[in-house]
Amino acid sequence: MMMRNNLMQGLCCLALLSASALVHAGEYLSGPADYIYTPRVEEGEREIDTKFGTQTPRSGEDNRLSGASIGFGYGVNSWWFTEIYGKVTWDGTNSQFDAVEWENKFQLTETGKYPVDIGFLLELERPQNRNEGYEAKYGFLFQSEWKKWVANLNVLMQGHYTGTENQGTYFGYQGQVKYRLQPELELGAQIYSWLGQVNNWNTNEQQQSSAGPAIFGKTKLGRKEALKYNVAYLWGTTTASPKNTIRMQVEYEF
Amino acid sequence: MKNNYLKHTLISIFLLLNLTNISIAASNDIQISIKNGRFSPSEIDIPADTKVKLTVENLDDTPEEFESYDLNREVLIKAKSKASFYIGPLSPGVYKFEGEFSPETAQGVVRVK
Repeated sequence: MMMRNNLMQGLCCLALLSASALVHAGEYLSGPADYIYTPRVEEGEREIDTKFGTQTPRSGEDNRLSGASIGFGYGVNSWWFTEIYGKVTWDGTNSQFDAVEWENKFQLTETGKYPVDIGFLLELERPQNRNEGYEAKYGFLFQSEWKKWVANLNVLMQGHYTGTENQGTYFGYQGQVKYRLQPELELGAQIYSWLGQVNNWNTNEQQQSSAGPAIFGKTKLGRKEALKYNVAYLWGTTTASPKNTIRMQVEYEF
Repeated sequence: MKNNYLKHTLISIFLLLNLTNISIAASNDIQISIKNGRFSPSEIDIPADTKVKLTVENLDDTPEEFESYDLNREVLIKAKSKASFYIGPLSPGVYKFEGEFSPETAQGVVRVK
């Protein structure tokens, strides 16, 4: 625990130091292929992680924006999971390699010891558009469970630094509630929300927020192999949000 | 308004789950070992609505993974080492677990009374 506490303090300092120079991402802060982070880390787990999503913009004049990513993740030990992946986007007429992303997740509390499991996320991205500099996303991840219910709430900050476009550090949260019906099919809901810049929150209608139903599941393919998935249909709940988003994630664990 | 309603609903559920956990948490320690691909003991009795710490010691030369969908736990135990984690508070019932790397022999249940 002592090591985890020290690690947490170090990461917080890093996050706070870098926050002052951060600048922000594109029109919608939640990308079509975003997903809900969970704080638990499984040592030794290897996975090929694919994500896909497509967003219908609020304005009928804009093209639908889609994105996908593929990555490899590894549970280095009982408290650190790391994953690197590449992202592509397309808008109906153009497609492009979007970014390389390095995700690191740190489990800060022992599984189930406290009412809430806590983790920390530090994700660094190098966008293909060099004017955007580097993107960082970081924040605390919380998970609680009660009988067959599992709830997640993540408090995040996101922005770009060393670039020339899009000033500001953005603050948001994402949440998920899940009922563990059976391994292959679990039912729930997700919400992704960005409230505005850290020092200047938007009005309710200017905030970007999408929410809707989701399904989850896992099926074993062999002794050490499994396929996990989650799919969500999200409605934009403000005029600044995409009209709707369909997103999915499929992980091959081995 | 719709946005606020969704926010408040999700955050309320999250806080409710936490409060429920806080109100019934306690602590007990249980030791399990893995030898020749089998759990010992393979049946564990614990009281209802009680948090329990499980320490699993793997005496074999190969790693094993404690896996239980019922308990919502997946924990790797390296060869010749231990791993600890917490389960519960649980309602009365039978909760299965197995060793993912040797599921034919590594089977067990947690009986909550």
